[in-house]
Amino acid sequence: MGGNVYESLVQFHQQNPHLLKALLAGTLVSTVCGVIGCFIVLRRSSFLADAVAHSMLAGVVCGYLFMKRVFHTEAHAPAMLIGAVLAGFLTVAMVTTVSRFSRVKEDALIGIMYTGVFAFGGLLLSLFSKDVHIDLYHFVVGQLLGVSNADLWMMAFVAVVVLSFVILAFRSLQLITFDRVMAASLGLNVLALDYMLTTCTSLVVVSGVHVVGVILVVGLLITPAATAYLLCDRLTRMLPMAAFLGWTSFVAGYLVSEQINVAPGSAVVVASVAQFLLVFLLAPRYGLAADWLRRRRAVPQQLVEDVLGCVLRSPTTEVPVRDIVNYVEGREERIRKAIRWLQRQELATVRNDHVELTEAGVTEGRRLLRAHRLWETYLQHLGTPVDELHEQAHRLEHVHDEEAVDYLDDKLGHPLQDPHGSEIPEDFVHLVPGQPVKAALLREGHRAEVVQLDPGARGSSLQVAMVIETGPREAEGTIWTFRLPDDSVVRLDHTTADAVQVRLLD
Amino acid sequence: MSIDTQDSSRNTGQATRDLAIEVESLTVSYGPVPALLDVSLGIPAGELAGVIGPNGSGKSTLIKALLGFVRPDFGTVRLFGEAAEKSKGRVAYVPQRGSVDWDFPVTVREVALMGRYGKAPWWKGLSPEDHRIADEALEMVRMSRYCDRQIGQLSGGQQQRVFMARAMAQGADVLLLDEPFAGVDAATERAILEVLEDTKASGRTLVVVHHDLATAGEYFDTLILLKQRLFAYGPPEDVLHPELLSEVYEGKLRVFADLDPVASPEDSRPSRGQEDG
Repeated sequence: MGGNVYESLVQFHQQNPHLLKALLAGTLVSTVCGVIGCFIVLRRSSFLADAVAHSMLAGVVCGYLFMKRVFHTEAHAPAMLIGAVLAGFLTVAMVTTVSRFSRVKEDALIGIMYTGVFAFGGLLLSLFSKDVHIDLYHFVVGQLLGVSNADLWMMAFVAVVVLSFVILAFRSLQLITFDRVMAASLGLNVLALDYMLTTCTSLVVVSGVHVVGVILVVGLLITPAATAYLLCDRLTRMLPMAAFLGWTSFVAGYLVSEQINVAPGSAVVVASVAQFLLVFLLAPRYGLAADWLRRRRAVPQQLVEDVLGCVLRSPTTEVPVRDIVNYVEGREERIRKAIRWLQRQELATVRNDHVELTEAGVTEGRRLLRAHRLWETYLQHLGTPVDELHEQAHRLEHVHDEEAVDYLDDKLGHPLQDPHGSEIPEDFVHLVPGQPVKAALLREGHRAEVVQLDPGARGSSLQVAMVIETGPREAEGTIWTFRLPDDSVVRLDHTTADAVQVRLLD
Repeated sequence: MSIDTQDSSRNTGQATRDLAIEVESLTVSYGPVPALLDVSLGIPAGELAGVIGPNGSGKSTLIKALLGFVRPDFGTVRLFGEAAEKSKGRVAYVPQRGSVDWDFPVTVREVALMGRYGKAPWWKGLSPEDHRIADEALEMVRMSRYCDRQIGQLSGGQQQRVFMARAMAQGADVLLLDEPFAGVDAATERAILEVLEDTKASGRTLVVVHHDLATAGEYFDTLILLKQRLFAYGPPEDVLHPELLSEVYEGKLRVFADLDPVASPEDSRPSRGQEDG
């Protein structure tokens, strides 16, 4: 049985000599690319990785030339590898050094340095075109079908070196990626680790260029890693996941390219992006669909507030769910959901399909009512036509932040009624017994003790520690009246009433 | 100050030290203008100290000096009697909320475990002991329930707790916090304050960079008022003097009235919305 499989494999290999090599090369490269890509994605250094990829041209040409001139060997793979790594190193070092002394920002410097190094490689290539036999076309689009045994060994070597480094130094790499300050405070050599990671990137890129070429190698690095990022909540899972996704997109892309006879490098990257988009749509937690579902399931605050307002405004304390559904705008099941939410928050109780607000629910509802009526008053103040008041205020009442509402109240001179003549609930957040408040917040019938007179109120007959009783507002609500202990009445305007600090009694 | 409590003996092992942090004549500069000039301080163990001062007053340089990250031009920083550079790991830096990548694929437990990263050599795995210590630290900050959550899926107070747990797992006796209250809502602010107080109660020393003078007096045992030089160090009532503050902040400050509204009745609060309506 096993012999059969082996024989058929051998037979298959003889018929398609390039296929098995290509599969092996792609597997080696795509898995390590995925792993290193995770760090690149999390460190947001995709552009730097692109730079390293391009700069390797100069390194490869230098390595080639050196071996050719000194040892007369042609296309010496290890020398080209070392050259590529050195070129990547040099590019990163130039970017970081110059950015320290220059006001030019790092992204611009990356653009300057890598095109410079790449172009220098191109110069060398045309200068020594007699000596150096590198096909620029293959360098750009990859030559998966022409992978040599030496290339395969190089890829295997890179895979082993990079994976062992990542596994052994995992904690250090995680820490410098997540929290550099802590890494440094524990005594880790952050800079050395950075450069080791850059070296890994260079190594991986050099082997990746064989598969998809220099332009697409960044896709091989980043796309599977970013896809894994959408699926995983821990780095220890993201790394193997990225390796796996890199491999699946390689196999899918490669097999398709064999079928329909297109450039394998492009097919692989297209497959990888397709995979990303699919996951972006369907990922269980960070996907678009999941997000949409979550938002659909959530009860919008606005609906909850509408229900609350409806129950509070109705003449009876127990309101049939039927009535709420008829009155509040929205689909029935969502309104019922909002009622259940109110129940869970202990703002309302439901008995026999009747909703009743709890004490907290009444408070919350009154807060909203106050916001609504103040907004209406404000809109009227700005000259909004009466028939539009309610609708606009209905939208604005959802802006019911405490400070915003207090601002409106103060700006409008603490009005008592909204444009429709309904009472605006008093400020029950600040106006509580024992708390110092401005006298302007007091309503008719409130008894309070004066605690402080700011300069604006010094001229009046009020005195600290005096107990006053609030009378009705005069002059269309713009004059406050207070009855003093001696039964005399003081009249204050808004500014003066604001300057009197009182403490509400009982 | 309660100095010889149960915890300070754990801090040093041998001779019980009174001071967690000793800064002597510290001068640090990045050029002709010193970032810190002749700063001397002694912070007792178990104290919750706030560092206040205007922008660019050397607050973060002081933190860096305590972490042993900067080389002083002159002076020394000692932590429990040891030079700062040598006491790596005993001081934990709790990062500013804004500088943390909350989308990073890392769980609550994994963050706490990072506290143990300095203990094992980098190529070796963490021991069961390390895991136990990290779990205990999470227990201490009441975060065990959330240990498999990704850190972005926590409330602000919980996120602060996680980083406190990491500092505890690190075995740090001194915690340095950079503006933990920056950009959080009122509820989170209270939650974070609670975390700070719990941590203090466990005998650790906290140095917190803070920018809000209105709350500084309420939150901290002692305040360090810094602007290159040390202007004041002591209990808030000694530090929050209007004259002292206006000298340091050069009158750019409008919150004096908020510090003590009864003592200074001058109407300095902003008169919002008083144009007639």
